[in-house]
Amino acid sequence: MAAHVLRLRIALLVGALRGDSAHVRRTVLGLLLLTGATAVACWALLTLRDVATAVVLAVIVLGGSAVTLGFALAPLIAGATDPLDPRRFTVLGLPSGRLAAVLAVAGLLSVPTFALIAVSVCAATVWAAHGVPWGAAAVGVVLGVLTCVLLARVCMALTAMFLRERRSRELSGLFVLAVLVVVVPVGVFFASLEWGGRVPTQLAEAVSLLALTPLGAAWAFPGRVAQGGMDSATPALLVALATLVVLALLWALLVRRMLSTTERPVSVRERGGLGWFAVAPGTPAGAVAARSLVYWLRDRRYVVNILVIPIAGVLVTLPLLIAGVPPELVALVPVPILALFLGWLPHNDLAYDSTAVWMHIASGLRGISDRIGRLVPVLLIGIPLLAVLIPVAISLHGRWALLPAMVGVCASLFLCGLGLSSISSVVAPYAASRPGESPFQQPPRAGSGSAIAQGMVMLGAIALSVPALWWGWLALNGDIEAATMSLWGGLGIGVLVLVIGIAIGSAVFERRGGRLMEFAESI
Amino acid sequence: MTASLPMPDDAHPDEPDGESISARGSGYGSPVRSLPPKPVTPAEEAAAQSTTPDAAARVTAKRPPRRSPRKKIPADPGPPPPLPADLVIPPKPPLPAESELRAEPEVAAPEVAAPEVAAPEVVEPEVVTPQIVETDTEPEPEAAAAEPEVVAPEREVAPEPKVFEPEPVIVAFPAAAEPEPHAEQGDVVAPDAHPAASVDAVTPALLVKGVTKAFGETRAVDGIDLTVPAGIFYGLVGPNGAGKTTTLSMIAGLLRPDRGTIRVNGVDAATDPLGAKRQMGVLPDRLRTFDRLTGRQLLHYYGVLRGLPAAVVESRTTDLARAFDLSDSLGRVVSDYSAGMVKKVMLAGALIHSPRLLVLDEPFESVDPVSSAIILDILKTYVAHGGTVILSSHGMDLVERVCSRVAVIVAGQVLAEGTVDEVRGELTLEQRFIELAGGLSDVEGLEWLHTFSD
Repeated sequence: MAAHVLRLRIALLVGALRGDSAHVRRTVLGLLLLTGATAVACWALLTLRDVATAVVLAVIVLGGSAVTLGFALAPLIAGATDPLDPRRFTVLGLPSGRLAAVLAVAGLLSVPTFALIAVSVCAATVWAAHGVPWGAAAVGVVLGVLTCVLLARVCMALTAMFLRERRSRELSGLFVLAVLVVVVPVGVFFASLEWGGRVPTQLAEAVSLLALTPLGAAWAFPGRVAQGGMDSATPALLVALATLVVLALLWALLVRRMLSTTERPVSVRERGGLGWFAVAPGTPAGAVAARSLVYWLRDRRYVVNILVIPIAGVLVTLPLLIAGVPPELVALVPVPILALFLGWLPHNDLAYDSTAVWMHIASGLRGISDRIGRLVPVLLIGIPLLAVLIPVAISLHGRWALLPAMVGVCASLFLCGLGLSSISSVVAPYAASRPGESPFQQPPRAGSGSAIAQGMVMLGAIALSVPALWWGWLALNGDIEAATMSLWGGLGIGVLVLVIGIAIGSAVFERRGGRLMEFAESI
Repeated sequence: MTASLPMPDDAHPDEPDGESISARGSGYGSPVRSLPPKPVTPAEEAAAQSTTPDAAARVTAKRPPRRSPRKKIPADPGPPPPLPADLVIPPKPPLPAESELRAEPEVAAPEVAAPEVAAPEVVEPEVVTPQIVETDTEPEPEAAAAEPEVVAPEREVAPEPKVFEPEPVIVAFPAAAEPEPHAEQGDVVAPDAHPAASVDAVTPALLVKGVTKAFGETRAVDGIDLTVPAGIFYGLVGPNGAGKTTTLSMIAGLLRPDRGTIRVNGVDAATDPLGAKRQMGVLPDRLRTFDRLTGRQLLHYYGVLRGLPAAVVESRTTDLARAFDLSDSLGRVVSDYSAGMVKKVMLAGALIHSPRLLVLDEPFESVDPVSSAIILDILKTYVAHGGTVILSSHGMDLVERVCSRVAVIVAGQVLAEGTVDEVRGELTLEQRFIELAGGLSDVEGLEWLHTFSD
């Protein structure tokens, strides 16, 4: 069987070069580009033979981790169909264990894997030049390549199982967002480093951390051997082996599952046209989330709210700068304010539905589904925004030791705001502009309910974040321990307030359905 | 009670069917009688649905589940409506909605088959019926037991009237008998089931007692009592501002009454709001909907909010869109729809979880005649299979034509209630309505209008 499958695999590879000329031309061009890139990478690696071991380690671990991550993410983002999908072998009745093994081996025969093998062999020669025994270098190569191949297969199988029917513009957008959230902070971090011929200490720390994660362990193993012999390399080796074992088990399980279950037939045509509803899980909370997302992205009233936030953040900095506050301190101000406003955004969410909220009440929707669903859009906007802006602010400030404190403060403000908003939007909704009206056209308000709700949420979030802010202040004044305190304290308080807020909001929503309807009809 | 009984039906098609058949079939011994109307029905249906062949298909598909409640009802012969409801309510209500929803697709086939199987099992019903009835009251078991064995239809008619309101029962009952045999045999519906059906529900689908609602100083609804038996069209008429919408909103659980109780199929809306809401489909008047969604998204939203799995919602969306002639518009944003189309899509959304009770506020307002004929047809079939519709309308002739019972509400109070014939007496419903609403006062002070300016 193995020979057959491998032959099939090779035939598939060669087959990529058949077809109409335009397709062949594109494939060949791609191949040439990949070959060129591989050659450059190999050459660049080989020049590292007489550079300090620490630098080689940093380059190979970082590069290797990035490549491994790429193997995992590519199937998710590109949504490529796997020509060796285990389900295609279902009708042959093969034992799932053997099929899994054969398909994993066949996975080695692919163009990206060839490139990976070439590069990692170059890495091995570099390590050999640094005095690593050939055996250890070879083990590193084998572990690294196998990890990548298995990771790709597992991710491809997961994509095929769970994402095929959901694939859509919205989902791809989410993935790109996720990648941005990771790439931008890392890029900012690198950009702020001072190289100067040697590995900056922050980078060295990052490398030693990566060397113990599944992503980088295999690549770090030979380097650790070069640095301190087998003893110091054992942890990396163990992590790499464990990763491989877990991936292999996962792959075997996935193959068995794919062979023993049938796909639910979902016609693509009917699935279409649902937009976010097709991406969100098919639960009431998921539907509320999808509906909220449609509104947040399409309704001008929400869009204006979102646009106002960064303006507010920037405006605050101007008077501070004019007043002569040092710029590196001012750089720390806008992001927490942004986090506060983001958390405050949904404090009147329910009023924006106007009378359409009857659907939630009449359908007997659980309060928790309503509350959580409504928070999804602001989380989807807020988390990436903060993830990108926090590193930028810190790099402007200059001291990366403050990063944890900043994260803690922002998380506390954001999450506490969300928790209080969850309560206030059912307890004290106030008239908002109606659907279709201009966002700037405020309805006449009776009494001061609106001001109270707005102020309570804003001040409450600040008050609840006082511990995180205090620790952050200490960290700013030199107490680095306090930065960690701020991180965990802020996150802990934020999550706690969010959970309690959602619980209270849910209970009130279920209890006060009739009252909410009266309110909705009154605006 | 009605609510609780149907559930088991859905879950175990055989049992209930056997029971109902024995009760009805043996009791009447007149399947032949029932047959004649049957041929008429298909023809009528076909005629009505010629515009939308799909509607017919959809309706047929839905029938099986609906049928069971029907049969149930006859099975428990004559417990007085209010009492049993109180006793039986708590355990059963939650089941029906869920089991029904889940079961629907799969059950459809078995249930169709069930009638034939059930027929031989005439003996079984006695065993089942007493069990169910026992909980309610002592006397019933005997009545139930007796019924199946009864050969003459008259006999069955006799016991029931005693329990229920005398007048309507007697008139309606013979007719009521007809739909049941239909359902058992082939599931073809008697189109004129609505007048008949009025009585055959023993536990009201909806019970409103002493409900009051005040907004500030004005009492919008002032002590309204309504009893809506299962399986009928119930009309709510009244002049503008009489409190119809407020009443329906309270029934739908959108507003909380200041005083009074509302029971949906025996489920108290105050103590178990979710259980009551689950059984209702709601079409409000004048309330917004999430109109930035496309029609497809909106229907999906309706379905998933009701807890239906996405795949079921999808197939029902397609069916409903076809039935309501919305297929071409599903991709468009609802805010671009005309008023009539919004009404239709919202009505489709109200139906998507196959509720037991439909609460429709002005369902035909601004809907074109063709669409309202189609909607009416869908609703009639729904009612014929045991569903209940309570609707408010200003169209008196429509109410007269469709509804079997009517309540006239003026200034928050029920001024007349009963079958259409009872309410209108010798007048037309419209005349009677105007009379109840205070009559046409002579309009004075507009003399200038009668001398034209040029």
